Amino acid sequence: MAIELTVNGVRHSVDAAPDTPLLWVIRDQLGLTGTKFSCGIAQCGACTLHVDGKPVRSCSLPVTAAAGKAVTTIEGLSPDGTHPVQRAWIELDVPQCGYCQSGMIMSVVALLNRHRNPTDAEIDAEVTNACRCSTYHRVRQAIRLVASRLPT
Amino acid sequence: MNNSDPNMVGLSRRDLLSGAAAATGALVVGFWMPQNALAQIIHPEGAAWAIEPAVKEINAWVVVAPDETVTIRIAQTELGQGVWTSNAMMVCEELQCDWSKVRPQYASVNRDGQEMAPEWTLNVMGKGATDPFGGGEPEFGKRGRTGIEGIPNSLYRRMRTNAASSVKDGRYYLQLAGAEARERLLLAAAKSWGVPANEVSSANGVITHRPTDRTITYGQVAPLAAQTPHPNPERIRIKPPSEWTLMGTEQKNLDVPLKVTGKTIYGIDVKLPGMKWAAVKACPVYGGRVKSYDFERIRSEPGVISAIELPIPNPALIRDRVFSGGVAIIAETWYQAKSALEKMPIEWDVPPAHAARNTANMRAELLAALDRPGHIRTNLGDCARVFAGGGRIVEATYSTPYLPRARMEPGNATVLVTDNRVDIWIGDQSPQETRYSASQITGIPEENVYLHLCHLGGGYGRNGNGPQAEQAIYIANQNRGTPIHLLWTREEDFVGTTYRSMGVARLRAALDADGWPIAIEVRTAMDENAPGAIAAFDKTSRYYTPNYRFSNHNVAFHIPVGTRRGVGEPAHDFYRESFIDELAHAAGKDPYRYRRELIARTNLPYKADMIKALDTAAEMSGWGTPLPQGMARAIALEERGAEGGGMATISAAVHTVSISKQGDLRLLRVAIAHEEGFGLVNPLSVRKQIEGQVTWFYNDAMHQECNVAEGRIVENNFDRFPLSRIGENPPEINITFFKTGHWLRGMGHDRATSLQSGIADAVFQITGKRYRDLPLHNHDLSWG
Repeated sequence: MAIELTVNGVRHSVDAAPDTPLLWVIRDQLGLTGTKFSCGIAQCGACTLHVDGKPVRSCSLPVTAAAGKAVTTIEGLSPDGTHPVQRAWIELDVPQCGYCQSGMIMSVVALLNRHRNPTDAEIDAEVTNACRCSTYHRVRQAIRLVASRLPT
Repeated sequence: MNNSDPNMVGLSRRDLLSGAAAATGALVVGFWMPQNALAQIIHPEGAAWAIEPAVKEINAWVVVAPDETVTIRIAQTELGQGVWTSNAMMVCEELQCDWSKVRPQYASVNRDGQEMAPEWTLNVMGKGATDPFGGGEPEFGKRGRTGIEGIPNSLYRRMRTNAASSVKDGRYYLQLAGAEARERLLLAAAKSWGVPANEVSSANGVITHRPTDRTITYGQVAPLAAQTPHPNPERIRIKPPSEWTLMGTEQKNLDVPLKVTGKTIYGIDVKLPGMKWAAVKACPVYGGRVKSYDFERIRSEPGVISAIELPIPNPALIRDRVFSGGVAIIAETWYQAKSALEKMPIEWDVPPAHAARNTANMRAELLAALDRPGHIRTNLGDCARVFAGGGRIVEATYSTPYLPRARMEPGNATVLVTDNRVDIWIGDQSPQETRYSASQITGIPEENVYLHLCHLGGGYGRNGNGPQAEQAIYIANQNRGTPIHLLWTREEDFVGTTYRSMGVARLRAALDADGWPIAIEVRTAMDENAPGAIAAFDKTSRYYTPNYRFSNHNVAFHIPVGTRRGVGEPAHDFYRESFIDELAHAAGKDPYRYRRELIARTNLPYKADMIKALDTAAEMSGWGTPLPQGMARAIALEERGAEGGGMATISAAVHTVSISKQGDLRLLRVAIAHEEGFGLVNPLSVRKQIEGQVTWFYNDAMHQECNVAEGRIVENNFDRFPLSRIGENPPEINITFFKTGHWLRGMGHDRATSLQSGIADAVFQITGKRYRDLPLHNHDLSWG
């Protein structure tokens, strides 16, 4: 069936079975491969993107649930990779293999949108992405760095 | 293949092939890039195989373009260890080019298989591990095709990415490559000016004729340098650490900007015109195969094209490991293939002996093996006599579970087979072995197999990949002309990987009246095919004892085993350091001072470094200062190679742990004192590797295990195989580096193994309960 999606500000009409996870429509049909597949059961968060500003595990969200809503992927976070979170990530050399980092960054952006200066407990509760290389130490430092720069 | 697709034009244009270009000495493209629309489809700015400017290379590692960008060919796979940066740093150090102009690019795997290494890379200079002017002790040429090296003396010396060896093995020839290129650039400049070569020098990519202050850039002189052979390359010298200016400094990883924008191309991201997707289900009991499947039931599902039965992959192509047969569904999209496959009835033909296996009977078999004679590895003095003499005996039996790597990117490969050529796009730590597999499976000569390296979404053990490539090649070979992208589900990734073997160990010591060991006997058992059986215990005890015996009691199981981060060291470090903690406790001595004294009594060549590591970690942690109730510190030694006088890596750590009365454990602080040997190439990458391994071995200590039931692995996704999250990460990770007098053995895999014994010992200190089997989440940690 035809489904209307707005991804990174661009409207698309995609043809997909209604139960197709948003992740696969984004990756295969729209060619936005920055959002990753890893567990397929909404556990690890590698597929995290935003739907109407909220972080979702797109591997387990039917594409129809995003119809008519604003979807933002890592590719749409900033036109040139200069979102404050991306800049902090570069400054602290956060990624290792990098595979989970698109999802990690999208979760952190959502966190910082809700909490300008998050507590450790808020970070722990809302950044639930898994990173096998373990970049957690630098992720927390980078969140602190971004928070310190946001206007109060 | 749909030949009317305009994108396919690129697929028939092979004029940029690396092999052909190399033969003419013209532009060498490390990667063939399809043209036209395809270039957009696969995000060339994120692809590792970006198109180069049309300039001749100076040598196989170095291309300098007219705009002064310096392309440095990387022959290892970037999987988070920072090799794209560290390898480039080693070349750049000697080349003396502008680091900001350096652009890493994967080396051509095909070319590596066709050309021989330059003569000047074949001899390792210097006097081995303890010579700062030398190349250390790289391990080359010890084995054949499937050995460490792949193809002996192939162009890039080593295209594998394994054994934490990219710096250990690659440093000398990467420095040489930079030096050879620099000297030829200088020669070319001198030639163009008609001046003696000893009057020119270079810095930051600019060559100066000192008497006249004339300058010329690398980019300007590169075409002439490419045609200027080095007259006596055997005389090229590399800089010792005392002369490094770039190496040894913290450099941010060059690919991070791609990784924060989603532009990095991993194997899973490869998309080719006309490509179809394959989902696979292999028999979950290893060694099993398909008895029957009913394709008719799913033939009309959306997008479904065909089904292919997969035989058990030829073990000879996968390091003699026996995986399973299975079925693949080919469809227009992967989600369609996977959804249809889930609905297809499949019956398996399972070896009954394999299906009878479970964790309990396998562990029982391992424990029983400990009582049999075993394979004696080391036997110093006379343990039997000491134990027969009575006295104070301490004995403990430990066990560790099956563990997979569980990298975040599930197994995948994209393969296009035509009548005379194979192209493979894959994140691969052994690309030459995969090329060989492709040749064997398709019958197409190996020189016509082109493997295009992609970044890997995690590595953690080279041969853990299993048959992802072999399955994809098999499917593509049945669908010649159509690119096939195979992708495993997470569950399938647990079937397709190798595991670190389940293992047990029984350690026994006789203590003298003062609590010092007068005999230590170590018996370990694991799968007989598992690598690393001698780790941590071989040749001599790291802790002094006049009588020492170490034996392996290995058995054969059906779970395919292979290298997982640290190989044999992590489990054996857990056994050894836990036992030393138990001996210290039995002796009533401080575990730090107990270790220190026992190391001091040895004749180990690096014992001063081991003591320095312990002292530094203890000091960093405030060892001995009081802690509140419910908190404890534990110390441990980590080493690889401390038993010999060769390359080694030595560290020590103190972990501070709290446990609530309800049993909630928190890792609060990690203090690691780590040697840097003669010098680290990129200390920032090393810090990141250590930080990562802290979490890795925390997970091994606390959470992770794979059990076997009816012959199959039980925990096969991240719900049942948990990965710790940021909330469990220690708030403090402190790392101190100290210099020693040898080259390092590697950094990427067996650091922070001390988390295992450390947490277990902290549990004992706080709760009084000594648990000797990992992971600890199986135990009640409450107290009071």
